[in-house]
Amino acid sequence: MTDRLDRWADPPLLVLASLADAPKHGYAITQDVAETMGVRLSAGTLYAVIARLEARGLIEPLESDDRRRPYRITAAGAEALAQQSERMSKVASVARERLGTRLGWAGA
Amino acid sequence: MSRPAAPPLTRAALALYPPSWRARYGDEVLALLGDSGGGPVAVASVAWRALPAWFSPPLPDRPTRMRASLATALMSWSMLAGLGLVFAQLTQLQGLTAPGHPELRWAYAVFDVTLAASALIAGLGGLPLWLLMLRRARREHRVRDAVYLFLPLLAPVAYLIGLAGTARLVAGPNGVSQGWFGAVTLAGFAAAATAAAGPGLALRRLQPRGPALRLAATAAGLSAAVMAVAAGGIVVAVISLNLWVRQFPGYHDGTVSGIYLALVVSAAVVTTVSAARGTRAALAQP
Repeated sequence: MTDRLDRWADPPLLVLASLADAPKHGYAITQDVAETMGVRLSAGTLYAVIARLEARGLIEPLESDDRRRPYRITAAGAEALAQQSERMSKVASVARERLGTRLGWAGA
Repeated sequence: MSRPAAPPLTRAALALYPPSWRARYGDEVLALLGDSGGGPVAVASVAWRALPAWFSPPLPDRPTRMRASLATALMSWSMLAGLGLVFAQLTQLQGLTAPGHPELRWAYAVFDVTLAASALIAGLGGLPLWLLMLRRARREHRVRDAVYLFLPLLAPVAYLIGLAGTARLVAGPNGVSQGWFGAVTLAGFAAAATAAAGPGLALRRLQPRGPALRLAATAAGLSAAVMAVAAGGIVVAVISLNLWVRQFPGYHDGTVSGIYLALVVSAAVVTTVSAARGTRAALAQP
């Protein structure tokens, strides 16, 4: 079944999460996000997000000899990602707990 | 190695973005579309995101921001000054007053003083930058750039010579017809645009930096602020004329006055915003 909440995924968060372990260029980010997080980022969305994150100092471009310029997460970006991940963990924990009560999930 | 040409649809989608965005991310988007196969849906997603990009385009370096702001502010300032001179020609120079309404006379005085002050500030603040660019154009034998730099002098002189010659031919006992007045006015705006475009082109080609550029950008901000007061004088005067000098044809026509005021306010806003951006870049910490 198509994930009906997929369109609500937060693209800036996905990009920050993708860059958390290593620098990547645009295509590598879309591949990584699709494979590990199950969300397809379009080219327009990805570069709108990259422009915003770069303007806010959360990611920075690295030198590149070709058109595939890699980006890396900055210290401010890592901190923002950590804070948001913490919030999401709490939301996920509450959601699992309440769904467990409702649906009878084991280990909720 | 030469890069493969992007498909026309992709080029069209990227053309929707601001130039600074294209310069910064255009190649990367092309690479991504090339790597991912870039079908029509992907290209459409690029086009779809173009509009928001205009609201927050990537900022270039400070000198580039100052030069771009100066060129834009100079052009819109010239248009505003042209609109102001049309206002002066059709009001003050016709001796239009409204007995019992001194605000009209005050508006004339505010306009006269602030227009002169704004031009003086812009001229004095921009002179070192103009001389800097002229010296470089001469040193490097850049004739075209030298011509661009002299356009603020050449274009008005050419216009005034043309105006003097034409006036003798077309003026009747009651002055010139409305049609000729319109033509002369349009030619004046064309001359003002040409005069302003010259230094703007020289700024883009010579790319000056340093204290002279910062001084010019700062002076442009001050000049624009003073010019905004002049625009305020125009607005007060035109509204006063519309309300209290109805016996003269033209001043009771709300549509004509409204269009004129909309042009004045638009030019004032563009001038102020552009100049403020340049001044902010000039005053920002490096």
